[in-house]
Formats: sequence, structure tokens, C-alpha cells
Amino acid sequence: MDSNKKYWKGLEELNNDPEFVEKNKHEFAEPIPIEEVLSGAGLMNKTPRRDFLKALGFGVGAVTLAACQKVPVHKSIPYLIKPEEITPGVANYYSSTYDGHAILVKTREGRPIKVEGNPNDLLSKGGLSAQAQASVLDLYDVNRLKNPVLNGADVTWNETDAFVKNELAAIKTGGKKIRLVSSSVHSPSTLAVIADFIAQYPTAKHINYDAVSYTGIIQANKNSFDKAVLPHYRFDKADIIVSFGADFLGTWISPVEFTSQYVQNRNNKSLQNKKMSRHIQFESGMSLTGTNADVRILIKPSEEGVALVNLYNQISGATLPGTKKLNNVNADKALTLVAKELLAAKGKALVVCGSNDVAAQVLVNAINSLLGSYASTIDLDNYSNQYSGNDAEFVEFVSEMNRGEVDAVLFLNANPAYDYHNGSAIKDALKKVRLRLSFSDHNDETASLCNVIAPNHYYLESWGDDSIIEGYYTIVQPTINPVYNTRQAEQSLLIWSDNAVKDYYTYVRNNWDKNLLAKGGLSGQKGWETLLQTGFVNVADKANGTYTFTRELNGVAQTILNQSSQSEASGDNKLEVQLYQTVAIRDGKRANNPWLQEMPDPVSKVTWDNFAAMSPADIKKFNLAQFDVINIDVNGYSIALPVLSQPGQAQGTISVAVGYGRTMSGPVGDGVGKNAFPFHSFRNGTFQTSAIATFSKTGDNVILAQTQTHHSFEGRNVIRETTFKEFLKDPSSSSGDERKHKKYDDLFWQDYEIEKKPYNWVMAIDLNACTGCGACVVACSAENNIPVVGRDEVRRRREMHWIRIDRYYSFNNEEGKSISEEQEISTLKDLDHVSVVHQPMLCQHCDHAPCETVCPVLATVHSSEGLNHMAYNRCIGTRYCANNCPYKVRRFNWFNYWNDSRFDNYLINEHTHLVLNPDVTTRFRGVMEKCSMCIQRIQAGKLKAKIEKRPVKDGDIKVACQQTCPANAIVFGNRNDPDSEVSKALKSERTYYVLEELDVQPGIGYQVKVRNTAELEA
Amino acid sequence: MRSFSLILKQFSRSFVLVASFAICGLSAYAQGDAAKGEALFKTKCTTCHKIDQRVIGPALGTVVTSETDDKWLIKWIENNQALIAAKDPKALKIYNEYNQSAMTVFGDLSDADAANIIAYVRADWKTMQTAKPVAGAPGAAPVESGPSDLVIFGLICVIVLAFVIILVLNRVIGTLERLLLKRQGLELEEEEVEVAVVPVDRLLLAKKLIKNKKFVFFVIICGTIAMGSWSWVTLWNTNVHTGYQPVQPIKFPHDMHAGVMKIDCQYCHSGAYKSKNASIPSLNVCMNCHKMVKTESPEIHKIYDALGYDTQTQKYDTTKARPIQWIRIHNLPDFAYFNHSQHVKVAGLKCQTCHGPVQTMKEVYQYSPLTMKWCIQCHKRTDVNMKGNAYYENMIQVHDLIKQGKHVTAAAMGGIECGKCHY
Repeated sequence: MDSNKKYWKGLEELNNDPEFVEKNKHEFAEPIPIEEVLSGAGLMNKTPRRDFLKALGFGVGAVTLAACQKVPVHKSIPYLIKPEEITPGVANYYSSTYDGHAILVKTREGRPIKVEGNPNDLLSKGGLSAQAQASVLDLYDVNRLKNPVLNGADVTWNETDAFVKNELAAIKTGGKKIRLVSSSVHSPSTLAVIADFIAQYPTAKHINYDAVSYTGIIQANKNSFDKAVLPHYRFDKADIIVSFGADFLGTWISPVEFTSQYVQNRNNKSLQNKKMSRHIQFESGMSLTGTNADVRILIKPSEEGVALVNLYNQISGATLPGTKKLNNVNADKALTLVAKELLAAKGKALVVCGSNDVAAQVLVNAINSLLGSYASTIDLDNYSNQYSGNDAEFVEFVSEMNRGEVDAVLFLNANPAYDYHNGSAIKDALKKVRLRLSFSDHNDETASLCNVIAPNHYYLESWGDDSIIEGYYTIVQPTINPVYNTRQAEQSLLIWSDNAVKDYYTYVRNNWDKNLLAKGGLSGQKGWETLLQTGFVNVADKANGTYTFTRELNGVAQTILNQSSQSEASGDNKLEVQLYQTVAIRDGKRANNPWLQEMPDPVSKVTWDNFAAMSPADIKKFNLAQFDVINIDVNGYSIALPVLSQPGQAQGTISVAVGYGRTMSGPVGDGVGKNAFPFHSFRNGTFQTSAIATFSKTGDNVILAQTQTHHSFEGRNVIRETTFKEFLKDPSSSSGDERKHKKYDDLFWQDYEIEKKPYNWVMAIDLNACTGCGACVVACSAENNIPVVGRDEVRRRREMHWIRIDRYYSFNNEEGKSISEEQEISTLKDLDHVSVVHQPMLCQHCDHAPCETVCPVLATVHSSEGLNHMAYNRCIGTRYCANNCPYKVRRFNWFNYWNDSRFDNYLINEHTHLVLNPDVTTRFRGVMEKCSMCIQRIQAGKLKAKIEKRPVKDGDIKVACQQTCPANAIVFGNRNDPDSEVSKALKSERTYYVLEELDVQPGIGYQVKVRNTAELEA
Repeated sequence: MRSFSLILKQFSRSFVLVASFAICGLSAYAQGDAAKGEALFKTKCTTCHKIDQRVIGPALGTVVTSETDDKWLIKWIENNQALIAAKDPKALKIYNEYNQSAMTVFGDLSDADAANIIAYVRADWKTMQTAKPVAGAPGAAPVESGPSDLVIFGLICVIVLAFVIILVLNRVIGTLERLLLKRQGLELEEEEVEVAVVPVDRLLLAKKLIKNKKFVFFVIICGTIAMGSWSWVTLWNTNVHTGYQPVQPIKFPHDMHAGVMKIDCQYCHSGAYKSKNASIPSLNVCMNCHKMVKTESPEIHKIYDALGYDTQTQKYDTTKARPIQWIRIHNLPDFAYFNHSQHVKVAGLKCQTCHGPVQTMKEVYQYSPLTMKWCIQCHKRTDVNMKGNAYYENMIQVHDLIKQGKHVTAAAMGGIECGKCHY
């Protein structure tokens, strides 16, 4: 049975905009101007025959001449002395750490080409974020500093050291303050180096500063339980999760780890045990987490505090003084029900809040304490070190500089001139500082204000360690010699503080020998070598203490309520601004990474820009239109951003992403979007992420490079979903009956007898596990040498990603009633209450592939292993295949992206080619391409088995998207092996095939999305 | 016959004379037997020593000749470690000079043996000293200077030019002569008659032939076939470089290494078993042997130069190192994936199957066409090497093919599908 629910990718599809309809008639945005040539300026001209002959003659001549060139001579240059561990053509893997997660770095002939999750990583079990996947590209960024800089000129390290040591010595005798400002440091050895530095320079102080701060939670835990830490949240232990604006699957604290935890109670395995967690999200802007929620309730930022107070009242039964009801009827009703549910799941509930306000977080602590979450879903003993920024300390530091008390500032991985809300204050204050030093490896906004830049190694060139969860220690080891004349910041600090150990590698070794190796039961040289192989040591979890919230809450409630009324927007053209991070760009530190800029945002599907997301109702109300540029003004700082109509956005709010509008990140990131960090403010001792804005129309219009309208399914039913209640009744509900459709005679397709072949490579994708985070998109780009095309080309629907994540909206309907009729939609139009399904879409490797039958040159043919092969060297670019593909997954190369100066900044600089995967061809202009199911990995896996004289085992071969997926939503394998994971997954009742009615027999099975909605809506 | 024996006699006489002189000279030092010494030297010492050159150990000629204390020398040869342990100053000096790398202890050598070796070394050194001026100018190795392509090409050009000039000149002479005759009038007419008869005949024949449609048709057909087949063959062989034999920076003789010495291919091309690249050996592989072997060859010195290796000090100077740029002979296009280990390790093919009789090639050339047709032909004809490979054991497809009496070729297993090589 097919679902009757209507799904749509965007408002233009929902409303059937004439422009959209017209565009979607064609696979490609711009048709070939044949008629133009034939009629007007072309053959009907005065002397077309002569011109034609001239052109023909010249063409033939030119081609002949071009063909006359000598065959190029290829050089083959072996190593002089080959390192023992390197075999040319075979990849080496080194364990290392990215942002606290254990990773494996794949290197070929000494250069890192891909980052992969360490399957044994405790936190994300081998999953990696898009940022981690993209991080390898930054190593080859030609805009990194190539030498240390002193007063604007390149110098040697000796000169730098002499200058800095002199200055520090003078400042030490002068007794003035030295400040080391860094984003949260969680590496034990780095912390030790900083401690040593401070011991040498007693006036020094280390200030942790995070652009997107979590001080509110840390301070709240200090107030509530005398533990100034960020707790380790355990979403895997929660049966019910209530989140107030915390985007824990996208950007909040440790999203990859949380994704891995979150899906454990929602994936196929859990569903087969008839278990599914429930997730209720209260938020203003549509976040990645919100799209995955079972129930999503809209509140404005100013209502968040009141909602928390009301929830507390409902749960505790008491009433905090000054409590007022929410004006928002929906949310108010929901809170009562949520409270009931939470109480029912006592001990297995978790309430999280994305606010950075101490008072709000104290209240959340109180609620969690009442629900018995401590020691079950919240771990305060094995806490998180991920963020330790202290906002008040940083603000104090700025005023210290202004007072002229500070003589030296060292910035380590911090860029406050860009991401502090009052960047100009930093600029002014820094003028009063004698020694301004940055360790940045780019001449970024802050480094450009410094008189010394001591460029740091990139993490792939560094030694080090990390610990984002107390008791879990990971190692960082270099995978390449430093590309430029950089030096590790820790080493610089050791040298400047005249440390007995001058070499940071020795320092790390000593630190591990003394303190950390023993924790993992290792010791000595052998222990160290084991560590370098495994990548981490883990101490058994500490037993949880008991934490009961006993503090008085009246004052807290008062603060919250006061703040709510202050932050409520009232008056004409005033809206509440909610600031958030996008999954790709986060806080903007990696803005110069083209892979990340081109990754479509999981919710808005916008690339290469930030924007002002507004509710469709508001847009209508204020007489705006999609892509109109508006000026958003908060306390005198204003930015102009295009409006994006975002279904599910709370009315009266604008959501704006921070991390954009860099001015000195490099040619890729500069000028992409506008900087929204100045909308932050410092209130109640922390940075707050909401503000009241006045907005005005500018009259301009900017078309965002948005991929949501590309590759439309034209209303065909490709999504199937059910509710948990239905699922319990009938596990196959909504999945339809596989292959009940009309079978066409095999006119074109020979019977391959694929079941008798050794392999039938297929995939199963669990729509209920996929959160839509987009890590697979970047992983695929890295593995398959997929070019970046840039904003303009994305606007022309020419993005090259082999895997895309289609995001579908649907209306939240009344129980049991399906909304399918066009009229119903037009009367309903409740664009506030929409639900979302993410569907990864890639080549389906159909057994009866429509693309294969239309290729005139047999460039795309079927293999005996169930794959749809694409021979690039055979393709002549007719694009018939793309036009005939019902899944719209074929991509055409319009340019030589790897060798075309029009696509400067991205891929054609001198180093970026080093990141290419040598086992995959880079495609030429005029050639079709598409997902190959990582055939290079399949071939390598088979070869390995042949060499080792054994059959291929299930799990031997992992494709790139599957490997990086933190949710394990993608399973790849051999269907002809009945015991393989994928065979089992495809046999599940939830499996369906997209457009199976066409009898193209796709090789990718999807598992029905299940939503645990029933109870709240009842 | 007589004269022959005479020459022989004279020769042997002079030989004996020289030899006896040499022995006399030797006996002044030690009473060793140089002939026995030579055998011992070759088995025991040559791994590390040469007489005229420093290798791993010192050049023995000068050292042994200048050292007169034979007893000490014998002690050193038999057990140098004991001398070092006893802190003998001379022994320590040598020990330190050679980076404290110890010489092997030869406990099995008797004093007489050692004396024999010493005798041999001194004798050989002496003959080398005396032979040197006779041997002629050292280092003037005959340069093999065959005519280069350019020279040949030039010669051909000159010859062709010469022919052209001769032809033109002949014509000019003919014209001039005719002009001369024209002036004389009479003779011209006679000539004219003679000349005119022949061309008329010729023209008639030509005209007849041209009018003969069958003949014309035949000629056109022949021409078309010839041109067609020529362009067909040319087009098919575009970018096929069978026989490509570029001049390499080092004249590496595969016939010597793989043929005469019978060194296994994979000693140098070690990647062939493990990787997609067979890989050209790095220079440290060359140095495994050539630190000792043929150290005087100018070609080997190219290796030393590339490594920044100094034969005297035996030290590597990495600042002088620069890699050797070999010219790649076997070029597959970038869009074709080829893996050596699949063919060598799994299929068990011999290198020669594709690379030809490398063991007889003085310089390597491209033996196979490396075209897709060539690949596919082999995949169609070659049975999969499944013997003892558990990878193939439980494959239904393999069993089916065998049951049907078909060959389990690479092609039958999907080895000619596009995506197997193009991705």
C-alpha cells in the first residue's frame, strides 16, 4: 500500500510555481540552443555555406595539427631510498585524532588523502562528521602561512624566537599581564605545556574562549552541583528526549557521538525489538535535530524560558513565583502532555536545552534531577572536556586590555576579531598591547592585528593527544612532513618558556609514559607503539555519584521571566533573531574549505551562503518574497541577507547562521555570506544567541544557490512512512508489497541469473536512522574525486555530488486523515507544522536500468555483480542516460573542473591535486558520471581476499558513505550471501524500493521511516 | 707448426722469468704461497675488501705493503677483536677509523694461511703497480659511439638532395644542349623527328588505357584498397607503441641482471606481488649489490651521484641527492586501472607474458601493444588460476561453468566488463 501523504521538497514544488514546473521538465537547466542556431543567427545567414566551409576547413586543419603532436614522454621517478613501510600503490593508515574522535588517516605514498573514522572509536564507532571528512583538504590549502611573520614580514624561526623571548622577558620583569587566549583546549599534553608556560611567566593566564559557548551549562552545573563541567549526555539511555533548541544531532556539543547514541533506539535493530525512543523538540528555526523529531513544537526564543518554567511546574507540581502562561497555545498544550510523558519515563528521560543562559540551564538541571536523569542519561562524573570556555573571563580580558594592563596576548586557535560579538572592541583594545601573537596558520582576522604570527602545524602534521571525555585519551600523530615552514604551537611555547624538554614529541612521550599509558594498562616503548596502532586508551567509567538538585529556584525563575519579557520583540518590523550554526560551516573556522561550502545545508539545501530564514506566514505578512534582501539591524550593527521561506520556522522569528562573512579566511571563504556573530550579546554573564532585530527591505534580490529544486521526482511517491503505533500492529505497514507491480517482459534485459553469480552488490538505507547530516556527501567527494563547481554553477543545477540527501516536507495532519488533494493543501497551508524525511539518493544500480538502454555507445552497462558500470572514456556526452534516469542521479561534467581557471580557488592550485584518490579517474569535460558504489573499494576488497586465498567476508568492503555515517543508516554488501548484514536488512518488513512500480529493479532498498507520534497527538 | 711452437716457447720463457722475479720480490717479505693465498683471499676476504680500493674495509694493497710487522698482521687477520680488546694502539686506530664496525674473526685460519694471504695481496698489489703504466691511459674507456638517428637522417637527406641536384642539373644540361642545337637549326629537326615518334606511341598507349574503363576501374579500386588499408592500419596503430625503446638515463642491462645473473624480477620490482604498481626499484636496492659490484663503471657512478654517495668515505650526502628520472615505457592511459598483484600473485602469470623476453633485452622496449583488444583477448583465452585458492572454492558460478564443460576464463568471471578496469 502506498502512502497517500503528499511530500514536497520546497514551496515552489508545493505551489507548482510555473517557473519551477517549466524548469523541471528538463533534466538540465539550459537546453542546447539548436533552434536558435537553425533559425536566427545560424544557418539562414547570408553566406552560411561559405562560413560553414571555412569553419569546417579550419576545424579539420586544427584537429590535424593538434593530432600531430608528439606523444608525451612520461617520467617515472622512484624513491632514492624507499621507506620500508611504503609500497607505491598501497595505502597506509595511521591512527590519529580529530576533535577528540579517534580517526584513521589514509595516506598514499606519504600524503594523506582521506580521513576515516576509527571503527573502535568509543564515541562515534567509526562515524565522522562532514567537517572531519573535509579536514584533509585544508592540509593542502595554499593560503596557509608559509613562514613565521614578524611585523608583516616573513622571518625565520630563530628571529621569531629571539624577538618573542626578549619581549616576554621584558614583560615578565615589567610585571604586566600575559594572556593566552585559546578555544577550548582538551589535549592533556597541551594543557601541561600551557601550565609549564605559566609557571615560567607567573603573570600569564590561560583563557578558554569559544565562539559558540557552553559556559551556561558549565556555570549551571557549578551552581547546582558544585561541578563546573559539561556533562556527558547519554542519548542512548533515554527513552524520551525533550530538547529546547539544542541541535544535538547537528551542532550541539558532540553531534557525531550523539547521533550514534540517538539512533541506537530508533534504528532497524531497535525497531525489531519493538522499541523506539521518543523525541520532542521545542525550537524556533528548523534545525537538523528538529527535522528528526517525532514531534516538533514551535516557540520563539523569548518563550523558551517561560516554557521551561511551565514544564518545571508541571513536573514538580509546585508553581514558581511569577509564572505566567505561554501565549503560544500549541506549546502550552504540548508542555502538559510532555510533562506527563516525562514523568512516566522517569529515570529514562532526558531534557536538554541549547540556551547558553545560566538560569535556564539551572532550571533544566532541576527538571532533570526531578526526572532522575542523573547517573542514567546524564553523566557528571565521566564528564565532557569538549568545551570549557568562560565567557565572563574573556569579557574581563577585553577590559583588561582596554585598561592597559595586558602587555602580551597569545591567540591559539582563536579568532575573536571575527567571532567575538564586539570585534571592533578587540581591534581597539589590541592596539594597547605590546606583544600580540597568533599561532594561526592563516593570516586571519585576528592574526592580521598581531605583530607576530607563529604559524602552527596542521593537525595532520602534528604530534599530540586529546581527551574530550574524561578517561578517554586519544593520540594525534603526524601523517606527513610539514608542508610549509610551520612549527607546532606547543613546541613554540616550550621554547619560549625555556622548558627542559625542547621537543614537543618528547614532551608528549614523557607525559604519556608518566601519566597516561598506565591508564590503559600499557607501558614503555611497546606500550607506546601499541597506542600508536590502536589510537586511544580508555579508563573504565567512574561510578556515578548521586546528584540531587536542592538549590532555591525562585531567583532563577525571576531572572528567566525578566529576560523573556525583555527579549520579546514588539512593534513594527521587529522580529526575534535566533542565531545558529550550520552543520557544514559551524563556527566558521573552516570557512575556506570548498567541500564544506558546497555541501547543501541539511535543512535549507542552500550552499555557499547564509540567509535569513523566515516563516512563510511572516513573509506574506510583511509583503516580502523569497530571496528578497532585507537589512537586519541589531543595536546598530546591520547585515543584508536574502530571505528564505522556511516551512516550520516559528512566526515572528528570523534564523541566521553564524560562521559566514569571513573577510580573511582565504579566497574560498571570503565574502561568503554575512557575519552574524555581532548579533551575539553578553547578558547575565554569558554570550546569548538571540536578539531583537529591526528589519527593512533593501529592494535587492539575491538568488541563493539552493539544491532543493534540483532533480525533482515530479510528485511521484518516493517516501514511505508510518507511525510507531502502526508499525507495532503491522511491521510491514506502509512498506508496500515488494514486486507486486506489473512485471514487464524482459525485452531489453537478458536474464543475468544474478543470484547464481558470486556477488550482487546492493545497499540498504534505513530512513529511520538517517538524520540527514550530510557527512556522506563530503565523504563521497573525498573518495571519488568529485569536483567543486561553485555558487554560480550550483544555481545552474550543475552540482556534481554523486550522493545527495533529499529532504521532503509533509504536513502534520490530523490523525488518520491523509492530505493528498491539491485543494486540501491550498486550504490547509499550515506551513508551521510540517514534518521532514531525509532520503539519501544515489545511483540505484537498477537491474533493469533505463539509462543503459538509451546509451548509444554502450558507455553504461550492467555488470555480472549487479552494478551499473559507467565507462567515462566511452561516453560521448549525449546525456540521454540522465534524461532517462527516474532517480535523477546522473551528473554531467560541464567543465574540466580540475583544470580550468574559471574554477580557481577550488581545485586547480598547486597542492590540491595531492588530495586526489589515485585509484579513481578524474573525469573530463563532456562526460557523464554517477555513483559507482565505490567500485575501487569493491575491486580492492576482492583482490585482497584472492591474495589471502579466502572468500570475501561480509564487512570486508565498506563504501565511503557507509563508512562515515555516524548513524549506520547505510548498509552495503552482497545480497547473494544470505548471512550478510545487507541481506538481512533487505529482508526486513520495512524495506521498500523507490519507484519499484517502474520495474527497474533497483539495487538499493529503503526502510520505511517510522515516527513515534501517536501519543502526543491523541 | 714450428714457428708456432717457437713463439709459444718464447712466451712461456718470458712468463716464467717474470713470475720468478715476482716470487723473488715477494720472498723478501714473507714466506707465504701467493697461489694458495689467492684462493683463500677470494673466498674469505672479497666480501669486504679489494686490493686497490676501499670498499667496506680498507684497500689492502697499500695497507698490507706498508705494514711490515707480519706477526701483527697475522694476528689481526686471525682475530682482530682480540687485538682491539687488548687495546692495541694500531688496532684501535683502524677500528675507530672505520666507524667501529668490527671485522669478522677468522678463527679457522692458521698462521700459514694468513701469511699466504698477505703474500698474495702484496704480490697482486705489486703486479698492479707495475702493470698500470703498461695498461695505458686509465679511464679512457672506449666510448661506444654508434651513428645516432640524427646523423643517419642527415645522411639520407644529403643523398636525396644530391640526387635531386643531379637530376635538375641533368635537365638543365639537356635544355641548354637543345637550345644550342636550336640555334644550329638543322640538327634540331633531325632530333625532333626522333623525339616525336616515341612520345606519340607512348601517348597512344596511355590514351588507350585511359579509355579502357575496366582498366581505370581496376586502378581506382586498387588505389582505394591500398589507401584504405593503409589508413585502417595507421588508425588502429595510433598511440600503439609496441617496440618503444627510449634512451634511459642509465643503461641498465636487463639481459645481464635477469638473464645472465638470473636475478628474480621481484628482487627489484617488489611491488608486483603486493601492489598495483610493479614499481621501479629505489636506489637502495641497487646499492645492495653495487656498493661492491662493478664500482668502477661510469653507469654505476650515476647511481652514486644520484644518491650523493662518496665511494671513498662511503658516506651519503643527502643534499647532493637527486632522483633518477627514468622514462616510462609501459604507459596505460589514466582511465584504465591495472593491478600487477592481481596478475602476478593471484593469476600466477609470468612477467614475460606481457613484458616479453626481458632477460634478453639489453635495453627494455615495449613488447606488447597494451591495447584493450590485447587485454580482452587474454582475458577471453586464459583460464582463471583457481588452484588452491579458497576464494573460488564455493562459487556456484565456477561449478556451473565446469559442469557445462566450459572454460572458467577471466572473461567468464566478468573480467571483460567495463567497470573492472575503468573507474
